[in-house]
Amino acid sequence: MKTLEQFRGYFESNLTPILTELEGQRKKVLQSYGWLALVLLGISVIALLILAVNPMLGPAVIIIPLVIAIIVGAIIGPYLSRDYARRFKTEVLTQIVRFFDPSLEFRPDSTIEQSTYMESKLFPHKPDRFKGEDLVEGKIGATAVRFCEIHTEYKTTRRDNKGHTHTEWHTIFRGLFFQADFNKHFAGSTVVLPDSAEALFGKFGQWLQSFSFGRDQLIKLDDPEFEKLFVVYGTDQIESRYILSPALMQRIVECKAKRNRPIHLSFVGSCVFVAISENRCLFEPKIFSSILDFNTICEYFNDLRLAAEIVEDLNLNTRIWTKQ
Amino acid sequence: MLIGIGIVGGVVLLAVIVMFNTLVGKRNQVRNIFGTLDAMLKKRWDLIPNLVSTVKGYMQHEKGLFENLTALRSRSEQPMSPSQRVQLDNDLTRTLAAFRVTVENYPNLKASDNVLHLQRTLNELEEQISAARRAYNAAVTDFNNAVQMFPSNILAGMMNFQAETLFEIPETQRQAPTVSLQNNS
Repeated sequence: MKTLEQFRGYFESNLTPILTELEGQRKKVLQSYGWLALVLLGISVIALLILAVNPMLGPAVIIIPLVIAIIVGAIIGPYLSRDYARRFKTEVLTQIVRFFDPSLEFRPDSTIEQSTYMESKLFPHKPDRFKGEDLVEGKIGATAVRFCEIHTEYKTTRRDNKGHTHTEWHTIFRGLFFQADFNKHFAGSTVVLPDSAEALFGKFGQWLQSFSFGRDQLIKLDDPEFEKLFVVYGTDQIESRYILSPALMQRIVECKAKRNRPIHLSFVGSCVFVAISENRCLFEPKIFSSILDFNTICEYFNDLRLAAEIVEDLNLNTRIWTKQ
Repeated sequence: MLIGIGIVGGVVLLAVIVMFNTLVGKRNQVRNIFGTLDAMLKKRWDLIPNLVSTVKGYMQHEKGLFENLTALRSRSEQPMSPSQRVQLDNDLTRTLAAFRVTVENYPNLKASDNVLHLQRTLNELEEQISAARRAYNAAVTDFNNAVQMFPSNILAGMMNFQAETLFEIPETQRQAPTVSLQNNS
Protein backbone atom coordinates (compact mmCIF):
# COMPACT_ATOMS: atom_id res chain seq x y z
CA MET A 1 0.00 0.00 0.00
CA LYS A 2 1.26 3.48 -0.85
CA THR A 3 1.19 6.61 1.28
CA LEU A 4 -0.39 9.93 0.38
CA GLU A 5 3.06 11.52 -0.10
CA GLN A 6 4.08 8.81 -2.57
CA PHE A 7 0.79 9.39 -4.37
CA ARG A 8 1.48 13.11 -4.66
CA GLY A 9 4.74 12.32 -6.44
CA TYR A 10 3.00 9.85 -8.74
CA PHE A 11 0.25 12.39 -9.47
CA GLU A 12 2.76 14.99 -10.56
CA SER A 13 4.99 12.74 -12.64
CA ASN A 14 2.66 10.11 -14.15
CA LEU A 15 -0.95 11.24 -13.96
CA THR A 16 -0.71 14.87 -15.03
CA PRO A 17 -0.33 14.23 -18.83
CA ILE A 18 -3.44 12.09 -19.10
CA LEU A 19 -5.36 14.32 -16.67
CA THR A 20 -4.54 17.39 -18.77
CA GLU A 21 -5.96 15.66 -21.83
CA LEU A 22 -9.08 14.57 -19.94
CA GLU A 23 -9.54 18.03 -18.41
CA GLY A 24 -10.23 19.36 -21.95
CA GLN A 25 -12.89 16.70 -22.42
CA ARG A 26 -14.38 17.50 -19.00
CA LYS A 27 -14.71 21.17 -19.97
CA LYS A 28 -16.53 20.16 -23.16
CA VAL A 29 -18.94 18.01 -21.14
CA LEU A 30 -19.51 20.95 -18.80
CA GLN A 31 -20.16 23.18 -21.80
CA SER A 32 -22.75 20.79 -23.26
CA TYR A 33 -24.36 20.63 -19.80
CA GLY A 34 -24.64 24.42 -19.98
CA TRP A 35 -26.32 24.26 -23.41
CA LEU A 36 -28.70 21.58 -22.22
CA ALA A 37 -29.67 23.68 -19.19
CA LEU A 38 -30.21 26.68 -21.46
CA VAL A 39 -32.50 24.74 -23.84
CA LEU A 40 -34.52 23.35 -20.94
CA LEU A 41 -34.81 26.82 -19.45
CA GLY A 42 -35.95 28.16 -22.83
CA ILE A 43 -38.72 25.53 -23.04
CA SER A 44 -39.91 26.46 -19.57
CA VAL A 45 -39.94 30.18 -20.39
CA ILE A 46 -41.95 29.57 -23.58
CA ALA A 47 -44.45 27.46 -21.61
CA LEU A 48 -44.73 30.26 -19.04
CA LEU A 49 -45.35 32.82 -21.79
CA ILE A 50 -48.08 30.66 -23.31
CA LEU A 51 -49.67 30.43 -19.88
CA ALA A 52 -49.46 34.22 -19.44
CA VAL A 53 -51.19 34.80 -22.78
CA ASN A 54 -53.84 32.12 -22.32
CA PRO A 55 -54.55 31.77 -18.58
CA MET A 56 -57.44 29.46 -19.48
CA LEU A 57 -55.00 26.64 -20.32
CA GLY A 58 -54.26 25.99 -16.63
CA PRO A 59 -51.07 24.92 -14.87
CA ALA A 60 -50.77 21.69 -16.93
CA VAL A 61 -49.18 23.70 -19.70
CA ILE A 62 -46.19 24.50 -17.48
CA ILE A 63 -46.06 21.25 -15.49
CA ILE A 64 -46.01 18.95 -18.52
CA PRO A 65 -43.07 20.67 -20.33
CA LEU A 66 -41.20 20.92 -17.03
CA VAL A 67 -41.58 17.20 -16.33
CA ILE A 68 -40.53 16.43 -19.92
CA ALA A 69 -37.53 18.75 -19.53
CA ILE A 70 -36.43 17.02 -16.30
CA ILE A 71 -36.79 13.56 -17.86
CA VAL A 72 -34.91 14.62 -21.01
CA GLY A 73 -32.18 16.16 -18.84
CA ALA A 74 -31.87 12.99 -16.76
CA ILE A 75 -31.51 10.86 -19.91
CA ILE A 76 -29.26 13.13 -21.94
CA GLY A 77 -27.05 14.32 -19.05
CA PRO A 78 -25.30 10.97 -18.37
CA TYR A 79 -25.15 10.34 -22.14
CA LEU A 80 -23.14 13.54 -22.62
CA SER A 81 -20.60 12.53 -19.97
CA ARG A 82 -20.49 8.82 -20.87
CA ASP A 83 -17.31 8.89 -22.94
CA TYR A 84 -15.53 11.10 -20.45
CA ALA A 85 -16.58 8.87 -17.53
CA ARG A 86 -15.43 5.73 -19.33
CA ARG A 87 -12.03 7.21 -20.20
CA PHE A 88 -11.58 8.57 -16.68
CA LYS A 89 -12.22 5.14 -15.18
CA THR A 90 -10.17 3.07 -17.60
CA GLU A 91 -7.27 5.48 -17.98
CA VAL A 92 -7.02 7.19 -14.59
CA LEU A 93 -8.65 5.06 -11.90
CA THR A 94 -7.10 1.83 -13.27
CA GLN A 95 -3.68 3.46 -12.98
CA ILE A 96 -4.35 4.74 -9.46
CA VAL A 97 -5.44 1.27 -8.30
CA ARG A 98 -2.39 -0.37 -9.88
CA PHE A 99 -0.09 2.22 -8.32
CA PHE A 100 -1.74 1.76 -4.92
CA ASP A 101 -1.08 -1.99 -4.94
CA PRO A 102 0.11 -3.81 -8.10
CA SER A 103 -1.67 -6.98 -7.01
CA LEU A 104 -5.05 -5.24 -7.23
CA GLU A 105 -7.10 -4.95 -10.39
CA PHE A 106 -9.84 -2.42 -11.18
CA ARG A 107 -12.82 -3.42 -13.32
CA PRO A 108 -15.29 -0.52 -13.70
CA ASP A 109 -18.11 -2.60 -15.20
CA SER A 110 -17.94 -5.56 -12.81
CA THR A 111 -19.59 -6.00 -9.46
CA ILE A 112 -19.89 -8.43 -6.58
CA GLU A 113 -22.76 -10.73 -7.58
CA GLN A 114 -26.22 -10.44 -6.08
CA SER A 115 -25.96 -14.06 -4.88
CA THR A 116 -22.83 -13.17 -2.85
CA TYR A 117 -24.60 -10.10 -1.47
CA MET A 118 -27.47 -12.32 -0.29
CA GLU A 119 -25.09 -15.01 1.05
CA SER A 120 -23.48 -12.40 3.30
CA LYS A 121 -26.74 -12.34 5.33
CA LEU A 122 -26.15 -8.63 6.00
CA PHE A 123 -29.38 -7.43 4.40
CA PRO A 124 -31.99 -10.20 4.35
CA HIS A 125 -34.50 -8.06 2.41
CA LYS A 126 -34.41 -9.37 -1.19
CA PRO A 127 -33.72 -6.39 -3.47
CA ASP A 128 -35.94 -5.63 -6.48
CA ARG A 129 -33.18 -3.53 -8.03
CA PHE A 130 -29.49 -4.37 -7.66
CA LYS A 131 -26.83 -2.04 -9.04
CA GLY A 132 -23.10 -2.49 -8.63
CA GLU A 133 -19.94 -1.23 -10.32
CA ASP A 134 -16.28 -0.38 -9.88
CA LEU A 135 -14.98 -3.70 -8.65
CA VAL A 136 -11.48 -3.86 -7.17
CA GLU A 137 -10.13 -7.37 -6.84
CA GLY A 138 -6.84 -9.00 -5.82
CA LYS A 139 -4.69 -9.79 -2.83
CA ILE A 140 -3.56 -7.53 -0.01
CA GLY A 141 -0.73 -9.40 1.73
CA ALA A 142 -2.00 -12.94 2.32
CA THR A 143 -5.66 -11.98 2.07
CA ALA A 144 -7.81 -12.24 -1.06
CA VAL A 145 -10.17 -9.23 -1.26
CA ARG A 146 -12.93 -7.84 -3.48
CA PHE A 147 -14.82 -4.62 -3.02
CA CYS A 148 -17.14 -2.44 -5.07
CA GLU A 149 -19.90 0.10 -4.85
CA ILE A 150 -23.40 -1.34 -4.46
CA HIS A 151 -26.88 0.15 -4.38
CA THR A 152 -29.83 -2.11 -3.57
CA GLU A 153 -33.49 -1.12 -3.42
CA TYR A 154 -36.88 -2.68 -2.89
CA LYS A 155 -40.13 -1.30 -4.25
CA THR A 156 -43.56 -0.79 -2.80
CA THR A 157 -46.67 -0.09 -4.82
CA ARG A 158 -49.80 1.57 -3.54
CA ARG A 159 -53.06 2.49 -5.18
CA ASP A 160 -54.57 5.90 -4.45
CA ASN A 161 -58.30 6.59 -4.20
CA LYS A 162 -58.43 7.49 -7.89
CA GLY A 163 -57.20 4.03 -8.79
CA HIS A 164 -53.69 5.11 -9.90
CA THR A 165 -50.81 2.90 -8.81
CA HIS A 166 -47.69 4.55 -7.45
CA THR A 167 -44.38 2.73 -7.25
CA GLU A 168 -41.84 3.89 -4.69
CA TRP A 169 -38.23 2.75 -4.42
CA HIS A 170 -36.58 2.43 -1.03
CA THR A 171 -32.86 2.00 -0.50
CA ILE A 172 -31.78 -1.11 1.43
CA PHE A 173 -28.07 -0.40 1.18
CA ARG A 174 -25.90 2.05 -0.67
CA GLY A 175 -22.15 2.22 -0.22
CA LEU A 176 -19.02 0.14 -0.19
CA PHE A 177 -19.40 -3.63 -0.12
CA PHE A 178 -16.24 -5.49 0.87
CA GLN A 179 -15.48 -9.21 0.85
CA ALA A 180 -12.28 -10.84 2.12
CA ASP A 181 -11.00 -14.24 3.03
CA PHE A 182 -11.10 -14.55 6.85
CA ASN A 183 -8.06 -15.86 8.74
CA LYS A 184 -9.85 -18.44 10.90
CA HIS A 185 -11.84 -21.54 9.97
CA PHE A 186 -15.50 -21.58 10.96
CA ALA A 187 -18.66 -23.41 9.91
CA GLY A 188 -21.65 -21.26 10.88
CA SER A 189 -22.44 -17.59 10.43
CA THR A 190 -22.08 -14.49 12.60
CA VAL A 191 -23.62 -11.12 11.74
CA VAL A 192 -22.61 -7.82 13.38
CA LEU A 193 -25.11 -4.97 12.87
CA PRO A 194 -25.27 -1.36 14.06
CA ASP A 195 -27.18 -1.34 17.33
CA SER A 196 -30.14 0.97 17.10
CA ALA A 197 -32.42 -0.68 19.67
CA GLU A 198 -29.91 -0.68 22.53
CA ALA A 199 -28.78 2.86 21.75
CA LEU A 200 -32.41 4.04 21.95
CA PHE A 201 -33.91 1.88 24.69
CA GLY A 202 -30.92 0.58 26.74
CA LYS A 203 -31.57 -2.70 28.57
CA PHE A 204 -35.11 -2.86 27.22
CA GLY A 205 -33.61 -2.67 23.71
CA GLN A 206 -31.37 -5.63 24.49
CA TRP A 207 -34.42 -7.57 25.67
CA LEU A 208 -36.17 -6.71 22.39
CA GLN A 209 -33.14 -7.89 20.44
CA SER A 210 -33.29 -11.31 22.11
CA PHE A 211 -36.37 -12.05 19.98
CA SER A 212 -34.01 -11.86 16.97
CA PHE A 213 -36.80 -11.16 14.41
CA GLY A 214 -35.72 -13.57 11.70
CA ARG A 215 -32.05 -13.53 12.66
CA ASP A 216 -30.08 -16.29 14.45
CA GLN A 217 -29.40 -16.37 18.21
CA LEU A 218 -28.49 -13.14 19.97
CA ILE A 219 -24.85 -13.22 21.09
CA LYS A 220 -24.19 -11.04 24.14
CA LEU A 221 -20.54 -10.07 24.16
CA ASP A 222 -18.24 -9.04 26.95
CA ASP A 223 -16.90 -5.77 25.55
CA PRO A 224 -19.21 -2.97 26.78
CA GLU A 225 -17.98 -0.42 24.22
CA PHE A 226 -18.58 -2.88 21.37
CA GLU A 227 -21.97 -3.92 22.78
CA LYS A 228 -23.11 -0.31 22.84
CA LEU A 229 -22.37 0.15 19.12
CA PHE A 230 -23.27 -3.25 17.68
CA VAL A 231 -25.67 -6.15 18.02
CA VAL A 232 -24.48 -9.63 17.10
CA TYR A 233 -26.47 -12.63 15.88
CA GLY A 234 -24.90 -16.01 15.24
CA THR A 235 -25.60 -19.69 14.69
CA ASP A 236 -23.25 -20.81 17.48
CA GLN A 237 -22.51 -19.02 20.77
CA ILE A 238 -18.95 -20.32 20.99
CA GLU A 239 -18.02 -19.97 17.34
CA SER A 240 -19.17 -16.34 17.24
CA ARG A 241 -16.93 -15.61 20.21
CA TYR A 242 -14.08 -17.52 18.56
CA ILE A 243 -14.41 -15.17 15.58
CA LEU A 244 -15.04 -12.03 17.65
CA SER A 245 -12.05 -12.26 19.96
CA PRO A 246 -11.61 -9.34 22.41
CA ALA A 247 -8.88 -7.96 20.12
CA LEU A 248 -11.09 -8.07 17.02
CA MET A 249 -14.00 -6.40 18.84
CA GLN A 250 -11.70 -3.54 19.80
CA ARG A 251 -10.49 -3.29 16.21
CA ILE A 252 -14.07 -3.13 14.91
CA VAL A 253 -14.85 -0.31 17.35
CA GLU A 254 -11.78 1.60 16.09
CA CYS A 255 -12.68 0.85 12.46
CA LYS A 256 -16.11 2.40 13.04
CA ALA A 257 -14.67 5.46 14.81
CA LYS A 258 -12.19 6.03 11.97
CA ARG A 259 -14.88 6.05 9.26
CA ASN A 260 -17.78 7.45 11.28
CA ARG A 261 -20.28 5.70 8.99
CA PRO A 262 -22.75 2.89 9.77
CA ILE A 263 -20.86 -0.42 9.44
CA HIS A 264 -22.34 -3.91 9.00
CA LEU A 265 -20.12 -6.99 9.22
CA SER A 266 -20.71 -10.69 8.72
CA PHE A 267 -18.67 -13.84 8.84
CA VAL A 268 -20.11 -16.46 6.52
CA GLY A 269 -18.61 -19.34 4.51
CA SER A 270 -14.95 -18.63 5.44
CA CYS A 271 -15.28 -14.97 4.37
CA VAL A 272 -15.75 -11.68 6.15
CA PHE A 273 -18.16 -9.19 4.57
CA VAL A 274 -18.13 -5.50 5.45
CA ALA A 275 -20.77 -3.05 4.24
CA ILE A 276 -20.09 0.64 4.87
CA SER A 277 -23.06 2.91 4.09
CA GLU A 278 -22.26 6.04 2.09
CA ASN A 279 -24.53 8.81 0.86
CA ARG A 280 -22.23 9.81 -2.00
CA CYS A 281 -20.96 8.03 -5.10
CA LEU A 282 -17.55 6.39 -4.84
CA PHE A 283 -15.14 6.22 -7.78
CA GLU A 284 -17.32 8.48 -9.99
CA PRO A 285 -15.56 11.03 -12.21
CA LYS A 286 -15.91 14.66 -11.22
CA ILE A 287 -17.52 17.01 -13.74
CA PHE A 288 -17.96 20.21 -11.78
CA SER A 289 -14.44 20.49 -10.34
CA SER A 290 -11.08 20.51 -12.07
CA ILE A 291 -9.36 17.12 -12.20
CA LEU A 292 -5.98 18.83 -12.41
CA ASP A 293 -6.40 19.76 -8.76
CA PHE A 294 -4.58 17.24 -6.54
CA ASN A 295 -7.30 17.41 -3.86
CA THR A 296 -9.93 16.20 -6.36
CA ILE A 297 -7.90 13.16 -7.39
CA CYS A 298 -6.72 12.60 -3.83
CA GLU A 299 -10.32 11.77 -2.86
CA TYR A 300 -10.22 8.63 -5.05
CA PHE A 301 -6.95 7.59 -3.46
CA ASN A 302 -8.38 8.08 0.03
CA ASP A 303 -11.53 6.09 -0.77
CA LEU A 304 -9.37 3.28 -2.08
CA ARG A 305 -7.10 3.40 0.95
CA LEU A 306 -10.01 3.36 3.41
CA ALA A 307 -11.41 0.26 1.67
CA ALA A 308 -8.07 -1.56 1.50
CA GLU A 309 -7.24 -0.66 5.10
CA ILE A 310 -10.10 -2.86 6.29
CA VAL A 311 -7.63 -5.75 5.89
CA GLU A 312 -5.21 -4.07 8.27
CA ASP A 313 -7.93 -2.78 10.60
CA LEU A 314 -9.34 -6.27 11.08
CA ASN A 315 -5.85 -7.82 11.21
CA LEU A 316 -6.71 -10.27 8.41
CA ASN A 317 -3.09 -10.81 7.40
CA THR A 318 -2.24 -12.41 10.74
CA ARG A 319 -2.15 -16.08 9.86
CA ILE A 320 -1.29 -17.89 13.08
CA TRP A 321 -4.18 -20.34 12.96
CA THR A 322 -4.50 -23.48 10.81
CA LYS A 323 -5.91 -21.48 7.91
CA GLN A 324 -3.00 -20.10 5.85
CA MET B 1 -66.05 -11.65 39.60
CA LEU B 2 -65.26 -15.29 38.92
CA ILE B 3 -64.20 -14.43 35.38
CA GLY B 4 -61.85 -11.75 36.80
CA ILE B 5 -60.25 -14.23 39.19
CA GLY B 6 -59.99 -16.71 36.33
CA ILE B 7 -58.19 -14.17 34.11
CA VAL B 8 -55.77 -13.14 36.89
CA GLY B 9 -55.11 -16.81 37.72
CA GLY B 10 -54.51 -17.57 34.05
CA VAL B 11 -52.03 -14.70 33.68
CA VAL B 12 -50.14 -15.74 36.83
CA LEU B 13 -50.01 -19.37 35.65
CA LEU B 14 -48.75 -18.26 32.24
CA ALA B 15 -46.07 -16.08 33.83
CA VAL B 16 -44.95 -19.00 36.04
CA ILE B 17 -44.74 -21.30 33.01
CA VAL B 18 -42.71 -18.75 31.03
CA MET B 19 -40.36 -18.13 33.97
CA PHE B 20 -39.91 -21.86 34.57
CA ASN B 21 -39.08 -22.53 30.92
CA THR B 22 -36.70 -19.57 30.77
CA LEU B 23 -34.85 -20.76 33.88
CA VAL B 24 -34.53 -24.32 32.58
CA GLY B 25 -33.49 -23.03 29.14
CA LYS B 26 -30.75 -20.87 30.65
CA ARG B 27 -29.50 -23.71 32.86
CA ASN B 28 -29.35 -26.04 29.86
CA GLN B 29 -27.44 -23.41 27.91
CA VAL B 30 -24.83 -23.31 30.72
CA ARG B 31 -24.52 -27.11 30.70
CA ASN B 32 -24.37 -27.27 26.93
CA ILE B 33 -21.55 -24.75 26.70
CA PHE B 34 -19.70 -26.43 29.56
CA GLY B 35 -19.89 -29.70 27.58
CA THR B 36 -18.37 -28.06 24.50
CA LEU B 37 -15.64 -26.45 26.58
CA ASP B 38 -14.80 -29.84 28.06
CA ALA B 39 -14.60 -31.37 24.56
CA MET B 40 -12.21 -28.64 23.46
CA LEU B 41 -9.99 -29.12 26.49
CA LYS B 42 -9.97 -32.85 25.72
CA LYS B 43 -8.85 -32.10 22.15
CA ARG B 44 -5.91 -30.16 23.56
CA TRP B 45 -4.90 -33.11 25.76
CA ASP B 46 -5.07 -35.40 22.71
CA LEU B 47 -2.62 -33.19 20.90
CA ILE B 48 0.17 -33.73 23.42
CA PRO B 49 1.50 -37.18 22.29
CA ASN B 50 1.65 -35.81 18.75
CA LEU B 51 3.48 -32.70 19.91
CA VAL B 52 6.00 -34.65 21.98
CA SER B 53 6.81 -37.15 19.23
CA THR B 54 7.27 -34.42 16.63
CA VAL B 55 9.67 -32.21 18.52
CA LYS B 56 11.51 -34.60 20.83
CA GLY B 57 14.25 -35.34 18.26
CA TYR B 58 15.11 -31.67 17.92
CA MET B 59 15.03 -30.73 21.55
CA GLN B 60 17.39 -33.11 23.31
CA HIS B 61 18.16 -30.63 26.06
CA GLU B 62 14.59 -29.96 27.10
CA LYS B 63 13.88 -33.28 28.77
CA GLY B 64 12.27 -31.64 31.78
CA LEU B 65 9.64 -29.97 29.63
CA PHE B 66 8.64 -33.23 27.92
CA GLU B 67 8.53 -35.12 31.18
CA ASN B 68 6.25 -32.42 32.50
CA LEU B 69 3.92 -32.64 29.50
CA THR B 70 3.80 -36.46 29.58
CA ALA B 71 3.18 -36.48 33.33
CA LEU B 72 0.33 -33.99 32.98
CA ARG B 73 -1.21 -36.05 30.22
CA SER B 74 -1.12 -39.29 32.24
CA ARG B 75 -2.64 -37.44 35.20
CA SER B 76 -5.45 -36.20 32.96
CA GLU B 77 -6.57 -39.77 32.32
CA GLN B 78 -7.22 -40.43 36.02
CA PRO B 79 -10.64 -39.73 37.53
CA MET B 80 -10.77 -36.41 39.42
CA SER B 81 -13.08 -33.73 40.75
CA PRO B 82 -14.05 -30.74 38.55
CA SER B 83 -11.85 -28.34 40.56
CA GLN B 84 -8.85 -30.67 40.18
CA ARG B 85 -9.54 -30.80 36.45
CA VAL B 86 -9.60 -27.02 36.21
CA GLN B 87 -6.29 -26.93 38.08
CA LEU B 88 -4.79 -29.50 35.70
CA ASP B 89 -6.00 -27.56 32.65
CA ASN B 90 -4.38 -24.44 34.02
CA ASP B 91 -1.11 -26.35 34.56
CA LEU B 92 -1.23 -27.48 30.94
CA THR B 93 -1.82 -23.92 29.72
CA ARG B 94 1.27 -22.81 31.63
CA THR B 95 3.44 -25.67 30.38
CA LEU B 96 2.37 -25.10 26.78
CA ALA B 97 3.22 -21.41 27.10
CA ALA B 98 6.69 -22.39 28.35
CA PHE B 99 6.99 -24.82 25.46
CA ARG B 100 6.24 -22.09 22.95
CA VAL B 101 8.89 -19.81 24.40
CA THR B 102 11.43 -22.65 24.26
CA VAL B 103 10.68 -23.37 20.60
CA GLU B 104 11.90 -19.85 19.83
CA ASN B 105 15.45 -20.97 20.77
CA TYR B 106 15.54 -23.68 18.09
CA PRO B 107 15.69 -22.21 14.57
CA ASN B 108 15.48 -25.70 12.96
CA LEU B 109 12.35 -26.40 14.87
CA LYS B 110 10.72 -23.13 13.95
CA ALA B 111 11.32 -23.90 10.29
CA SER B 112 9.79 -27.39 10.43
CA ASP B 113 6.40 -27.67 8.73
CA ASN B 114 5.17 -30.17 11.28
CA VAL B 115 6.00 -27.92 14.20
CA LEU B 116 4.48 -24.91 12.49
CA HIS B 117 1.30 -26.84 11.88
CA LEU B 118 1.20 -28.01 15.48
CA GLN B 119 1.71 -24.48 16.71
CA ARG B 120 -1.12 -23.25 14.52
CA THR B 121 -3.38 -26.02 15.82
CA LEU B 122 -2.45 -25.09 19.38
CA ASN B 123 -3.13 -21.39 18.75
CA GLU B 124 -6.50 -22.28 17.28
CA LEU B 125 -7.42 -24.54 20.19
CA GLU B 126 -6.35 -21.93 22.74
CA GLU B 127 -8.48 -19.32 20.97
CA GLN B 128 -11.44 -21.71 20.84
CA ILE B 129 -11.04 -22.59 24.51
CA SER B 130 -10.95 -18.91 25.40
CA ALA B 131 -14.09 -18.34 23.29
CA ALA B 132 -15.82 -21.24 25.05
CA ARG B 133 -14.86 -19.80 28.45
CA ARG B 134 -16.30 -16.42 27.46
CA ALA B 135 -19.46 -18.09 26.18
CA TYR B 136 -19.70 -20.05 29.42
CA ASN B 137 -19.33 -16.89 31.50
CA ALA B 138 -21.99 -15.12 29.41
CA ALA B 139 -24.39 -18.05 29.84
CA VAL B 140 -23.69 -18.23 33.60
CA THR B 141 -24.26 -14.46 33.99
CA ASP B 142 -27.55 -14.80 32.17
CA PHE B 143 -28.59 -17.74 34.33
CA ASN B 144 -27.45 -16.08 37.57
CA ASN B 145 -29.39 -12.92 36.70
CA ALA B 146 -32.52 -15.01 36.30
CA VAL B 147 -31.86 -16.89 39.56
CA GLN B 148 -31.18 -13.76 41.59
CA MET B 149 -33.54 -11.15 40.11
CA PHE B 150 -37.13 -10.58 41.13
CA PRO B 151 -39.59 -12.23 40.39
CA SER B 152 -37.87 -15.27 38.86
CA ASN B 153 -35.75 -15.66 42.03
CA ILE B 154 -38.86 -16.85 43.91
CA LEU B 155 -39.40 -19.69 41.49
CA ALA B 156 -35.66 -20.44 41.33
CA GLY B 157 -35.62 -20.68 45.14
CA MET B 158 -38.57 -23.07 45.11
CA MET B 159 -36.86 -25.23 42.49
CA ASN B 160 -33.57 -25.07 44.37
CA PHE B 161 -31.66 -23.52 41.45
CA GLN B 162 -28.29 -22.24 42.67
CA ALA B 163 -26.22 -19.48 41.10
CA GLU B 164 -23.26 -20.95 39.17
CA THR B 165 -19.67 -19.74 39.51
CA LEU B 166 -17.89 -17.92 36.72
CA PHE B 167 -14.63 -19.12 35.20
CA GLU B 168 -11.82 -17.17 36.78
CA ILE B 169 -8.31 -16.80 35.52
CA PRO B 170 -5.84 -18.17 38.10
CA GLU B 171 -3.59 -15.60 39.75
CA THR B 172 -0.45 -16.91 38.00
CA GLN B 173 -1.98 -16.22 34.57
CA ARG B 174 -2.96 -12.67 35.41
CA GLN B 175 0.69 -11.68 35.39
CA ALA B 176 1.96 -10.18 32.16
CA PRO B 177 2.82 -13.08 29.84
CA THR B 178 6.19 -13.51 28.16
CA VAL B 179 5.28 -12.68 24.61
CA SER B 180 6.99 -14.62 21.85
CA LEU B 181 7.10 -12.97 18.44
CA GLN B 182 5.25 -15.90 16.84
CA ASN B 183 2.20 -15.25 18.90
CA ASN B 184 1.34 -11.63 18.41
CA SER B 185 -2.35 -11.69 17.60
